Amino acid sequence: MKGSSIYTIVYSAVLGIVCALLLTGVSTLTEPYRKANAAAEKMRNILHVLGVPFSAKESAEELIRIYEKSISEEQYGALRVYVYDGAIAVPFSDLGRCGLIKGFLALESDKRTIRGVTFYEQEETPGLGGEIGAKWFTDQFKAKTIFGPDGQPGIRIVRGGGASETNEVDGITGATMTCNKVQAMLNGAIEEIVEEFTENVQ
Amino acid sequence: MFNSATTLPGGACGPGLCGGRCKQTLKDGMWANNPISIQILGICSALAVTNKLENSLVMGAALIFVCAMSNLLVSLLRNATPRRVRMIAEVAMIATFVIIFDQFLKAYYWDMSRSLGPYVPLIITNCIVLGRAEAFALQNPPILSIVDGAANGLGYAAVLAIIGFFRELIGSGEVLGRTVLADNWYTGNQVMIMAPGAFLALGFLIAFANFIKPPQTEKTK
Amino acid sequence: MSETSPLLILVAAIFTNNILLASFLGMCSFLACSTKIETALGLGTAVVFVMTCTTAINYGIYHGILVEGAPLLSNDLTFLSSIVFIAVIAAFVQFVEMFVERFSPKLYHALGIFLPLITVNCAIMGVSLFMVLHKYSFAQSMGFGFGGGVGWAVAIVLMAGLRKKMGYSNIPQPFQGVAVIMIITGVMAMAFMGFIGMVSIQ
Repeated sequence: MKGSSIYTIVYSAVLGIVCALLLTGVSTLTEPYRKANAAAEKMRNILHVLGVPFSAKESAEELIRIYEKSISEEQYGALRVYVYDGAIAVPFSDLGRCGLIKGFLALESDKRTIRGVTFYEQEETPGLGGEIGAKWFTDQFKAKTIFGPDGQPGIRIVRGGGASETNEVDGITGATMTCNKVQAMLNGAIEEIVEEFTENVQ
Repeated sequence: MFNSATTLPGGACGPGLCGGRCKQTLKDGMWANNPISIQILGICSALAVTNKLENSLVMGAALIFVCAMSNLLVSLLRNATPRRVRMIAEVAMIATFVIIFDQFLKAYYWDMSRSLGPYVPLIITNCIVLGRAEAFALQNPPILSIVDGAANGLGYAAVLAIIGFFRELIGSGEVLGRTVLADNWYTGNQVMIMAPGAFLALGFLIAFANFIKPPQTEKTK
Repeated sequence: MSETSPLLILVAAIFTNNILLASFLGMCSFLACSTKIETALGLGTAVVFVMTCTTAINYGIYHGILVEGAPLLSNDLTFLSSIVFIAVIAAFVQFVEMFVERFSPKLYHALGIFLPLITVNCAIMGVSLFMVLHKYSFAQSMGFGFGGGVGWAVAIVLMAGLRKKMGYSNIPQPFQGVAVIMIITGVMAMAFMGFIGMVSIQ
């Protein structure tokens, strides 16, 4: 009986159904947590770049609560802006060298000085392009301006280091391509900000 | 590739919960028949996730869970499974446990899930899990199969932890994210974090294992 | 969703992001079958074929059935994707095995047990999973699948050639066998990293 085709079919069907049921059960059980985590990730990055105080150990629900309390989302045309106490954060997303790079650029309320930059999704080479996620790289952007000494908007990631101007940061050795892509997408976001907030710029 | 000579006589349990073979099975899985250094299985993930010690530990935990549970299920159903769909049935059972683990990881340890990426679902194709199901769980009683699964998982986790420790230490001067070799004098050796470093680390580890315990020309069991 | 051309993805999958030397997939069969060049070539070709076809099928199933809002079934069934992918791969390999046995018994005997073992080759499953992760379009997935297969084949044939030469070398006892192969693969991986400048994805 065990060797017969009918048994094989019945066995396969039962095994398939049991597995599918088990997986559906687990998936439904964990769904609220998984969805909360996915939503919280983006929020965590917005909170982080704007400098909103929160503990790294916060649960997803806590984060969502803090976010809803502190951040207001505003839409300026096609630009979505996250506002916290006057400071704004703007998302950017574009193709890096290896895959999509997503991040946020936060400006102080004067809309000139950078409060911070964060990259929350990237697939660059660890140790090279991946260093854009490292603290040393993102910390460079703090207190830099989005305008150059000539008054033109735009930041520069200087290859080989030696950044001196208020709108320049050091690049990553061996990751020129990634840095070029990041520079382009940051400047894209800056352009959009300047366009929308021209009344704040002299 | 799958050594299949670990059948117990008659497959029956002797005195005690697993016929007194638990200790031997445990020792075998962890040391004498270590899945990575002796059986040379499960290499893909051993290379991919060992760039940081934390990732290695979570992957190790994943494998202990999946291997033990799938061994249990395969062993429980060993007399009911028809030969023709044997392999696909094993893969289905393994896949179920892997996805369960993945779902729990996404729910409770989101950051870890992102770090490990697609390598958790890839446990389904991990040769260790399938190999143990095929070579041990099909011929042995359930309790012993769990022990074997857990033992192999532990052996795997141990090797991963060692590789992960060295790769993270030499590559970035950190262990579990905390700086051990201070920034001011130690510049991380980037190669160790990247792909070639993984291959080199594993090569030296296997050579070391061979050095301590020279392989016999024909392993008789 | 990104604008990288499929051809570029294909070339990258062979050289700069080689599925084996950079993403570590497909190691087990790589170690087992790289002893002879003919076997390596035969297995490599089989893998290219299986990988390209299963990537196509898995893409269709993922976007046609599993994704939320898909044309055939609108629930979010992505948690089943791993188990569905591996089932597709297993069924396809079974089909290929029957086909090869019928039309080329010589190749069937040469490949032996390694043909069914393609099912658990992590590279094939890995390519489907990466395709989902990187959100590739169909053309990009095809480039990635075909390129990944060719990259894997290139790596295994190279190793087979090197192992043949190594037969004349004096390798210290602890390193004989897998250990020295790992070290050589590490060096190969470093060499392939030199291709990074070759592909500029913009």
